[in-house]
Amino acid sequence: MVKKTVTVKNEAGLHARPSSVLVKTASKFNSDFYISMYGYKVNGKSILGVMTLAAECGAEMELIFEGDDEQEALTTISELFENKFERN
Amino acid sequence: MVDRIEFEGVPASGGIGIGKTHILEERQDDISPEKIQEEEIQFHVDKCNRAFRKIKEEFIKLKDGTDGEVADIIDAQIESLKDPELYKKILEKIESERYEAEYAIYSTLNEYIHIMENADAEWLNERTIDLMAIRDQLIDAARNRELGGQLEPGSVVFATNVSPTTMIELSRNSIAALVMQKGGLTTHAVILAQSLDIPCVIGVEWKIRRFKNSEEVIVDGEQGLVVVRPLDSEKKKYQKRRKEKEEEAVKFLQVVKKPSETACGKKFKLQANVEFLEELPRVKTHGADGVGLLRTETILFQKTGFDVASQLDFYRKVVDASGDSDVTIRLFDAGGDKLLDDSETEANPFLGWRGIRMLLDKSELLNNQLEAIYKLSGEFKNRIKLLVPMVSCVSEVYRLKEKINEVKEKLNKEDVEFDPNLPVGVMIEVPSVAIMADKIAKEVDFFSIGTNDLTQYTLAVDRGNEKISSLYQPYHPAIWKLIQMTAGGAKKSGIPVTVCGEMASKPKAAACLLGLGIENLSMTTGALPVVKSLLCSQSLKDMRKLSGQVLDANSPEEVIALMDSFGE
Repeated sequence: MVKKTVTVKNEAGLHARPSSVLVKTASKFNSDFYISMYGYKVNGKSILGVMTLAAECGAEMELIFEGDDEQEALTTISELFENKFERN
Repeated sequence: MVDRIEFEGVPASGGIGIGKTHILEERQDDISPEKIQEEEIQFHVDKCNRAFRKIKEEFIKLKDGTDGEVADIIDAQIESLKDPELYKKILEKIESERYEAEYAIYSTLNEYIHIMENADAEWLNERTIDLMAIRDQLIDAARNRELGGQLEPGSVVFATNVSPTTMIELSRNSIAALVMQKGGLTTHAVILAQSLDIPCVIGVEWKIRRFKNSEEVIVDGEQGLVVVRPLDSEKKKYQKRRKEKEEEAVKFLQVVKKPSETACGKKFKLQANVEFLEELPRVKTHGADGVGLLRTETILFQKTGFDVASQLDFYRKVVDASGDSDVTIRLFDAGGDKLLDDSETEANPFLGWRGIRMLLDKSELLNNQLEAIYKLSGEFKNRIKLLVPMVSCVSEVYRLKEKINEVKEKLNKEDVEFDPNLPVGVMIEVPSVAIMADKIAKEVDFFSIGTNDLTQYTLAVDRGNEKISSLYQPYHPAIWKLIQMTAGGAKKSGIPVTVCGEMASKPKAAACLLGLGIENLSMTTGALPVVKSLLCSQSLKDMRKLSGQVLDANSPEEVIALMDSFGE
């Protein structure tokens, strides 16, 4: 299992579009993925779970991965947070 | 003999719709927690799987050919249908709690809807309607009922509220009109109705009267009137009006193709005011010569993200839809009250921290937008202009230019191409800058007059205050004098002037503006054909005469009388 704390950097927070990008990317990995924030823990592959966190800009959350590609998943997902979920 | 029923509502999208009533059913009433036997479990799991598969496929089909916000919304819907937690919970309700599929779907989605409705984040509240749409569509699919199946082309749809995705689906079924109990003028469904030319009336309490499906109904999208079981005379009247409208539309198309010049050959330029991506197809169809005012507040408030990349994405689509013409992008024109993290309320937001005043304090917001616009100017040479809102003093222009220089330096360092001479103009909406127009003209590349705000600031009348709404008079001679001063100040420095307020969209006021020497007008796309039609039919000499009389008038009433008799 690998963990990392990240910060939501895009100004509007984890609204519908970033959530959809996050979930889509996470679903490409085999590893289980959970997001923990303010004591809530949601499945990172569940868009409804991610959206209901209503994470605003500046919110900190812990990403937890477990599975055969956990390291790779962690790197890719952290980059998404770092790049503010921007389209390429 | 059954009685005629008349409803009044808010006109939301113009046009006349004549057809048969079709009530979009609501499912809440008839879903109860029915339990099933062990041997029925598989049947209900299969039913649930079928429903998910069907709706997912429908959304994927729906997504085809859409872009921008609509595509994002549909994308989020597809992801919701793929949500593993949602599916797990529904399955648990069927397998362990032994509820039938319909109830399992209904109650699980309601749990999420409940969380979203009660969340603090406004964007999350707004998502509930889309989740309700998914819920209802899944249940329909599980019951083998179809929205489109019973929906005859030419139906007039009665609904409580309609989600954007349902709206797209309705339009593909060629509905004649839409009547909603809820919804606002800026909701997606209404904007889509406008851009798809579907007559729409909102705020209609249609549920308090009894009528059935397939009854005759007339919808007047201009007056906000809905008549079920109309009288024969009424039907004839509206059929005639609809025919006239169709003929008008044909005439408008001819006008759109004509060159933009007065009867005496003086050229003018008509552009479009744009706020939503859904409006873009109308830029071309209504004959706009580019976009004279691109409002960017929506990017901020609809939270599609205002980072540089999302903005660029949005701007590119607008420029692409404008042919070879230019696009004027107005910086975020918003009051501080609407910003998420600043919750202090101001006593007078319209006289407060808004437009450029706020932007100069919010460097990240301003820098991001400037960076996006300058990057865009490198991609589309000589086609982009930048417009600054709520300027009241020339020092704000100086401060903005410093910020612009910082952005230019940054882009130079990064070796990003941009237009170093990108035209920078200011909105003339505060009387002080209209009065000082000759001085400010030396510092900027163009003026754009926002007549709505100019009127409210000059007359000290709050546009939104109903008690004094009769005092809000855009045709007040004082406003015309300020417009004249602005045009005069611009002329001295040789810079162009545009009017982008509501005044430009009124044909006779537009003629008067042309008479004052203002040759660029930008307006809501719907007004373009009528304005053009009048301007093409009159001579500049008569327009000048009109503007001279208007400037000499004593009262708004006198101005209105002059306008009314113009060209008659």
